[in-house]
Amino acid sequence: MDLRPYFDDLERFADGQMSPAEQEAFELRLEQDEDLAEAHAAYEQLTADLRWAAGHDTLRLRLQSLDERMNERGTALDRAQHLARRRQRRLVVLAGLAGLLLLAAGVAAWYFSRPNRALPARSWEAYYQPDPGPAVTTTLLTKNPLLAEALDQYQSGHYPAALHSLGRVSPTTVGADTLLYLRGLMLLRQGQGNAAQLYLRRVEAEGGSGELARRARYHLGMAYWQAQELAPALQELRAVAADSLNPYRAPARRAVAAGVLEAR
Amino acid sequence: MPTPLAETLTQLRVGNQKFLIDFYQRSRHLFARWAQRQHRLPAAQAHELLQDTLLDFYDQVADGRITKMPEDLRAFIYGMAQQRLAAQVPAHVPLPAAEAQRRQRLLAQFNQLGADCQQVLTYFYFHGYQFEKMGVKMGFPNATVARRQKGSCLRKLYELVRGGYDATWGAGTADNEG
Repeated sequence: MDLRPYFDDLERFADGQMSPAEQEAFELRLEQDEDLAEAHAAYEQLTADLRWAAGHDTLRLRLQSLDERMNERGTALDRAQHLARRRQRRLVVLAGLAGLLLLAAGVAAWYFSRPNRALPARSWEAYYQPDPGPAVTTTLLTKNPLLAEALDQYQSGHYPAALHSLGRVSPTTVGADTLLYLRGLMLLRQGQGNAAQLYLRRVEAEGGSGELARRARYHLGMAYWQAQELAPALQELRAVAADSLNPYRAPARRAVAAGVLEAR
Repeated sequence: MPTPLAETLTQLRVGNQKFLIDFYQRSRHLFARWAQRQHRLPAAQAHELLQDTLLDFYDQVADGRITKMPEDLRAFIYGMAQQRLAAQVPAHVPLPAAEAQRRQRLLAQFNQLGADCQQVLTYFYFHGYQFEKMGVKMGFPNATVARRQKGSCLRKLYELVRGGYDATWGAGTADNEG
């Protein structure tokens, strides 16, 4: 059925565009004209189908558009969650690193500050008991100012100056063995263990069993140790440790008992 | 206040599709999980299946095949989706139904029209806009222009319909098919 001949009238009728008189006339024609009635039915079917098609298409497009929006929202949410998770992971890693650093710092602090009881000290200085020498008295200052000056410098830790001053002291005013002993002490304190050995050995050899020789023996042992000559050092210190009259018996015993000299 | 179910059906028939849009928005995620679990369907395909099923549902309401709103709409829609899968209906092709061929042909021809014509006919026949309102929506100068545009678009569609008949039945018999 070709609707084209009737299309204008059918459309105006369906869309309510006719005047009341036109409409009445058209309705009358519909009852009398079979072709027009058939065209009207076909037109109604077309517009009904069109109504359905438009509705169907509208719903399809709306659902598609909603789907795209939801996908975009989902993607954005996923991205945001991913970023948040990454930020959280980074924070956890940083916190972990900070914790590890703190722990390492704590362990290091404990390690370096702990008292080392397991291993004995190996340095000669740890066992050395220095001899401050005779006290600088007014009498000494008056009687022997050069010796007093040397002693004062020695006791103040100015060893080169003390050695220089001691060199100016006349051997006639002070005993030769005392001068040798003091020179040995000063050289030992200055870190010249080899040189100190010469003077201290002479005092020990020449002093016999006197107090000064006993003292010199202890310092000689320490001078050997300072010069890394451990065997003679051990020998001398053992002798001192065995000598009940030696004023350095106790520190010598400690050094021998530590076993540091034997182990090395 | 929620709309009663019976009224929802009436609203759908007169073109208010909000109910189905809301249903899709609410159920898309759960439906995709169900389709994944039951039929190992990827999410994107599940979303398409739900859209096609809702279009089926709308068509059945529009042409009167569904006259009563199902009590459990969710179960009903899931059942329809399951039927689509069982019948292995390709995406975007509705289930066989009375007059479906003619309507599908018209839908295809409707989609051949230009975007403006589709919009004009949708405004008039689906949304039921008056010519004045349609003129405002489309940016026409007045209602008369809107009416002429609608008439022109309807004729274009009819020519496409006639072309379809001619192609199917041949020009000589097209008039007899009506």
